[in-house]
Amino acid sequence: MRLDGRIAAVTGAELPLARGLALALGKAGAAVALFGDVQALASVVRELESADVRAAAIDASWDSREAADEALVVAAESVGQVDVLVHASVPEIAFEHCDFVDVDDERFETIWEGSLRGTMFLLQAAYPYLRDRSGSVILVVPTIAMSGAARLVTYTVVEEAQRVLIKAVARQWGPDGITLNCLAVAPEQVPIGIESTSVSLAPPALGGRGEPEHDLGPVAVFLASDAAAFVTGATIGADGGIWMAP
Amino acid sequence: MSAAATESRLSGRTAIVTGAGQGVGLGIAHAFAAAGANVVIAARRAETGEPAAGEIRARGGSATCIVTDVTSRSDMEACVAATVNQYGSLEIMVHNAFRGGTGHRFEDATLDLWEQNSRSAVWGSYYSAVLAFPHLQRAGSQGRLILLTSPAGVEGSVNIPMYSAVKAAQRAMTKSLSKEWGPLGITVNAIAPVAQTPALAGAFAENPVLKERVEARASLRRIGDPERDIGGVAVFLASEEGGYVTGQTIVCDGGSFMGL
Repeated sequence: MRLDGRIAAVTGAELPLARGLALALGKAGAAVALFGDVQALASVVRELESADVRAAAIDASWDSREAADEALVVAAESVGQVDVLVHASVPEIAFEHCDFVDVDDERFETIWEGSLRGTMFLLQAAYPYLRDRSGSVILVVPTIAMSGAARLVTYTVVEEAQRVLIKAVARQWGPDGITLNCLAVAPEQVPIGIESTSVSLAPPALGGRGEPEHDLGPVAVFLASDAAAFVTGATIGADGGIWMAP
Repeated sequence: MSAAATESRLSGRTAIVTGAGQGVGLGIAHAFAAAGANVVIAARRAETGEPAAGEIRARGGSATCIVTDVTSRSDMEACVAATVNQYGSLEIMVHNAFRGGTGHRFEDATLDLWEQNSRSAVWGSYYSAVLAFPHLQRAGSQGRLILLTSPAGVEGSVNIPMYSAVKAAQRAMTKSLSKEWGPLGITVNAIAPVAQTPALAGAFAENPVLKERVEARASLRRIGDPERDIGGVAVFLASEEGGYVTGQTIVCDGGSFMGL
């Protein structure tokens, strides 16, 4: 499956999960714009470039609509008009375990409002580009959000809200030819210190957590490709067979 | 179950129901009161909340209206404190209040609309949970948190993406909190209703075809009654009989949505 000519924007590639997805998309032929902390992303850019992938790190934020618009404009100027958006970033504080009664307004504001508003602004900013190019959105979520997790209430609330937002928006933007899907990954793929075995009644069917570039990357490439043009609003679990509902 | 048994299922327990001035919240409040609970109508407006409480008392139930804005921590703190002050305990917290169901195109959706959805559904759930918690903990195996969600929070709704997101948020809170509070005996559940409410009546008035469509989609070919149909499920979850059900979304829509 190839993505030649596509331009992918990826958030969260400071961490191994989205870094692996970015490498997979790039090696499948897409040019890659990495949104986030330029310094932390420099090594990913180097790795992409050494694989002959056109790539740039963009000092982008999406905490306001204006900032998100700016990120898409800079991406268009430096790499090209985005037609694949992979969103894997949440505020780091979301990963911290905390009893829900100890979550104060400030923490809830940062995790909940920060994540949801950011995702809204990114999607809204990306819409004109995606519409013109029958683009696709891939939201990366851990399957632990679907099963629920003690002491990670706010994080799971964010991820499930985003996952269902993707479904609703998939219904609205379908007539534009835009697809929006979720890639659901094992809990070990995000830095929350939770093992797969604690999530499900059964252990992961395939054993390990999966390797981001080689196990999860191909699923992202598929969702970004023409082969998935009729797949939208779906959550594709690539967690090694932990969460199997439905 | 005999009438007497039904009437005593929640006797001696106290419940707060947010958004209980009308619609589903009012139906649940009536059902709780009929089952013997003391009910606090936490309504944003006294104009709806006071008559609701009065109606329950006129039927022989125990009810008080406390004017409460669920998006305000201090309002919610005051509501919980006044409830416990008046009735001595709080076993059942029901968060139903919601604002912001206006249809929208997502790409044009405003922060103002987001604020309404987020503050009423999600912040309201957060405040309901954490502020009721000390009392639910004291209630132990009688402690209940019930959040009102929607099938849209499972499958997404084409006309109201923001609503879909916040309703999903409430379902996730239900699952995760059920795990966190389960060891204390507290259950946390969600109800996803379709019921004859002022909001739905308004939507039907705007779009008469919608009523037919909603009725036709339901296996039971009717729209739920807030007190009998939705209230009945809430009473079950709040009662001892519902004590082993936790982390669940009970879809109560006459058999429209079967995707769980």
